[in-house]
Amino acid sequence: MSEPVITLDGLAIGYDGRAVLSGISLAIARSSFTAILGANGSGKSTLLKTLLGLQPPVAGRIHFGSPPVFGYVPQTVELDPLFPLTGFDVALMGTYGRVGPGRFPPHAERQLVHDCLRATAADGFAHKKFSRLSGGQKQRVLIARALATRPDVLVLDEPTAGVDAAATHNLLEFISQIHAERKLTILLVTHDLPLVRKHAQQIVWLHQGQVLHGTVAELFTPERMAEIFEMELG
Amino acid sequence: METLRQILSPDFLLRNSVYTSVLIGFACPLVGVFLVLRRLIFMGVALPQISSTGVAVALSLPLWLGMDMSGHDSQNAHVLAFAGSIAFTLMAILVLAFLERRGRGLPEGRLGTAYVVAAALSILLLSKNRYAELGWLDLMKGEIITVSNFDLTLTAIALALVLVVLGLFHKELMLVSFDRTLAVTLRKNVVFWDALTYLLIGFTVSMAVLSVGPLISFGFLLIPPLTAHLFARTMRQFTIFASLIGGVASFIGFWIAYQWDLPIGPTDVVLLGIIYALSFVVKKLAFLFQSKSKR
Repeated sequence: MSEPVITLDGLAIGYDGRAVLSGISLAIARSSFTAILGANGSGKSTLLKTLLGLQPPVAGRIHFGSPPVFGYVPQTVELDPLFPLTGFDVALMGTYGRVGPGRFPPHAERQLVHDCLRATAADGFAHKKFSRLSGGQKQRVLIARALATRPDVLVLDEPTAGVDAAATHNLLEFISQIHAERKLTILLVTHDLPLVRKHAQQIVWLHQGQVLHGTVAELFTPERMAEIFEMELG
Repeated sequence: METLRQILSPDFLLRNSVYTSVLIGFACPLVGVFLVLRRLIFMGVALPQISSTGVAVALSLPLWLGMDMSGHDSQNAHVLAFAGSIAFTLMAILVLAFLERRGRGLPEGRLGTAYVVAAALSILLLSKNRYAELGWLDLMKGEIITVSNFDLTLTAIALALVLVVLGLFHKELMLVSFDRTLAVTLRKNVVFWDALTYLLIGFTVSMAVLSVGPLISFGFLLIPPLTAHLFARTMRQFTIFASLIGGVASFIGFWIAYQWDLPIGPTDVVLLGIIYALSFVVKKLAFLFQSKSKR
């Protein structure tokens, strides 16, 4: 395994000092494709928020090799359609981490955004209002925005939620492609087991207060699946 | 047209009122845009009212302290009123924003309570202050008549400051309003940028209330952005349209009020309401026409 980009050491996550999940110890390897799985309320979003620094851990520590730049792709429902922003405006926000207060994004940064939109095949509709785009189109713009941050780790929070089957397939193929081409570390939160089986290398499965961690081959065996789903049914 | 010529004349007696009205008309929608986008419209109702209560408290202070206010000059009164207005507005914003961030309770309930208590308190203070007749009852009603050069200069400087800060930091203010999570991952200080947004809103509301009263302030904070939102495709268009609608409506409102001897503030707000209604109808008709053409 290559050097870890993120290491969780005895981490407990939760709200107001109360742990939802505890004893999380695992390492995310650089350039790996990791899927975070779990039922609703299992703590996926809490884990993601803790990793991104949106909320402090209840206990334990998160170590970063060197502080990584996160390219975050939120769920599209989290973004208010009231804002009159074009796809390009939204993608341009990815450069704001490098453009200081009181400055406008220079030509080079705008060019980078155009390149990212082209890479995600979103350049054709980037001039349209973001709120009027389809679910799949919005995800492509948001991935372009995440790429425009020049990320070390691409974090995608249920990118296929509300996206139809064909678009879901295309989107995951595309994420796999940029993972392979750019050697990006990818953290993908999803419910979709078949897609995870096809694309991810590592799995973090949050299940009834436990964290199961391993490769796809280790976790997706009939015995382990039966064990997990029996626990879930129980 | 004769009335228009009079209003535009440099010797026009009420020229300071025209300038103040237009300045407020241009500036209020610029921060109103953030109130609308952050879905804080109720805050836009409550803040001007709380701000005017601050004015009432500040102007009642000398009375409570047994000081004679009958001979005081208008500059001191203006500074005192501004201090009261800004103190109450910022205090209210801080408390409401803190409660909002905690995410508990019913925000609309808190804002509604703040509004109604502030309005009642203003009336109580007015009823016990014999200087109410000296002008600030007119202010509460939105009569923009007696504006001194000092008042006008203060308003212009304050609003220019708001404009400069908005222009410089629009990118950061927009980022934390649209996607806080992204702002955090980009290591932006979201608490600072939130505080600056609220500070700008509070400062503008205070200046507007002091110049044109709470009703008109709310009208200019809310209606121009809502009207502009019907047509704007980008943030730049949204901001410019909202400001232009506010500025032009305030001038035309003044013209109409002067021509027919109406109170200026309420005339402005009704005019803004008519513009909004007409824009809504035009937008719907355009949509129907487009749908038919496509079929």
